[in-house]
Amino acid sequence: MLLESVLTGAVRGGTAIVFASLGETVSERSGVINLGTEGSMLCGALAAYIVGIESGSAWLGVLAGMVAGALLSLVFGVLVLDRGANQLATGLVVTFLGLGLTSLFGQDYVGQGANGFTAAPVPGLAGLPFLGPILFDHDPLTYLSFVAVPTVWWGLFRTRAGLAVRAAGERPQVLEAFGTSPRRVRYGAVLLGGALAGIGGAQLSTALALNWSENVTVGRGFVAVALVIFAGWDPRKTIAGAYLFAGAIALQLQLQARGAEVSRYLLEAVPYLTVLIVLAALSRRRVHAGPEDLSNVFDG
Amino acid sequence: MTASDDVLSLPAEEGIREGLRAWRPGNAGGLARWVAAVLGAFGVYAMFLVLQGADPVAVLAAMADSAIGDAGSVADTLERATPLLFGALAVAVPARAGLFNIGGEGQLLIGAVAAAGTARLLGPDTAGAVALPAMALVGGLAGLGWALIAGVLRVTTSTNEAITTLLMNYIAGLILTWLVFGPWKDPDSLGQAYSTRLPDSQQLPSLAGGDLHTGVLVGLAVAAATWLLLRRTSWGFQLRVVGGNSEAARRAGLRVSRLQVAALAVGGLLAGLGGAMEITGVEERLRPEMMVGFGFIGFLASWLARHDPLKAVVAAVVLGGIAIGGNGLKVTAGLSGSAVNILMAVLLLAVLGWARRDTNAA
Repeated sequence: MLLESVLTGAVRGGTAIVFASLGETVSERSGVINLGTEGSMLCGALAAYIVGIESGSAWLGVLAGMVAGALLSLVFGVLVLDRGANQLATGLVVTFLGLGLTSLFGQDYVGQGANGFTAAPVPGLAGLPFLGPILFDHDPLTYLSFVAVPTVWWGLFRTRAGLAVRAAGERPQVLEAFGTSPRRVRYGAVLLGGALAGIGGAQLSTALALNWSENVTVGRGFVAVALVIFAGWDPRKTIAGAYLFAGAIALQLQLQARGAEVSRYLLEAVPYLTVLIVLAALSRRRVHAGPEDLSNVFDG
Repeated sequence: MTASDDVLSLPAEEGIREGLRAWRPGNAGGLARWVAAVLGAFGVYAMFLVLQGADPVAVLAAMADSAIGDAGSVADTLERATPLLFGALAVAVPARAGLFNIGGEGQLLIGAVAAAGTARLLGPDTAGAVALPAMALVGGLAGLGWALIAGVLRVTTSTNEAITTLLMNYIAGLILTWLVFGPWKDPDSLGQAYSTRLPDSQQLPSLAGGDLHTGVLVGLAVAAATWLLLRRTSWGFQLRVVGGNSEAARRAGLRVSRLQVAALAVGGLLAGLGGAMEITGVEERLRPEMMVGFGFIGFLASWLARHDPLKAVVAAVVLGGIAIGGNGLKVTAGLSGSAVNILMAVLLLAVLGWARRDTNAA
């Protein structure tokens, strides 16, 4: 059934982007836009893949992916928060660094096959008609993303730490006046963002692709950054954007499998085009929804 | 320096202060700063090579040999630098207006695609004197059109141009892939995906007696023209005002939206032209892997040059040399050629970290 396969693919393929988008949401809520998310995803994907194979534990791999993603975002943090370097340029260069590092350290692992996650159907729920396969027959990291979305929302909007993050993004001077350093808050947000992108990368290599190849993310981290705007900086809505992108991928795969008369390469462009169109349609409405201090970056 | 400082400072102290000021990052600490950045970048790169179990000295020697070993490799480096230079100029012009064009990659590709399409339309019998300018023109216009989409979205829907240009790279790459696997595939390619080779008459001629194609000179001329455009025309000055403070520019009566769109369009034009130079000078046909990463390296080159079109020439040659060195990496040390991205990235991070806020406003 086409709809069921597309939605299942949307959830499974969207998970990596959900994590990355959540991370970027936290970072941008604190007033920092990090295009290094793509690089953090790549580093997370490779670290999880290697550690998963070498240690025999896929969960240890995820942990390594988190650490790798956070470490790369630390490089970004030092330059942007301590050195005052341009955010967009630094993010892109950091992604470039991640691409180079993963090419170098991943070359011995290309095409090895991962020691990763397999589908773990939720007892009872996986048997439900329609919803079962779509929501409850996935890898554990996908279930983790179901928990991560409300957790990040709760953390941002219902805790003191979340208030500090949002204050850093809206009015850093106020935070300063209350004796909290916006720089430190932003460091925390950027590192958490990198760690979440790292988990996303880990899901990509050890649960979705079950393989490593150079530049395995092909822009998913950049898509995640775009989707934060689409979601109006609301963690709950990132999930819709991520599933939209991955659903478009799943749809084109299904169309190919059914022998559609359209080139697969044109179909592969559809997910990117979808994000572009949706973003263009929503941007005007979103322009004032973003954190106040972030507009300084964009209007720079 | 305030008046009281002047009164209180002794001559010797003044000298020390001057010295300190010269060393302070962001000031004109010039050469020493650059040497430190380059050495630091090579040091970090060597460290990663050791971690991967490679001999850094042998690797760097192999890279240097590929990039500057003999006349042929110098020519390779200069030819590689050419599309990077066009990619850098495509970043520098919008940056002058405070805009981020991260779509050089896609604009280069679309330029190459349009040039190849023009050659198909004209047919192999059209003389080079007609075909080559036509390919360059159409390639440039295609790049312009591609960037124009991002420009129009920016001013009509407030969609951030950094994000749109970035996403459009992937679409451009897939259009190229579609063409060479599908409608434009060379019928004699036997399963390989590439388009029909351009006839010799429709390829850029070599410079007298050398291995270099004439597109290298075109690149230099375009860089000089871009410098003049930005630094010596009122249009360039208007861009700078918009880039400095768009609100003030609006109040001063400048048509900010129009200038922003034009800046992105000119950037796209330059990248598209670069794509046309690459296919007529180096590639001879479309391939799916052509110019992978060139747009991003061009972005690095522009930031390395602080968006100065003339300094971008130097930056493009340096990064072109490192990129060509990546071939040596692959052949001699069996390492992934993309590993040289580390060296480029660290070099850029050193410069970005040093430059501080003063360079952010282009």
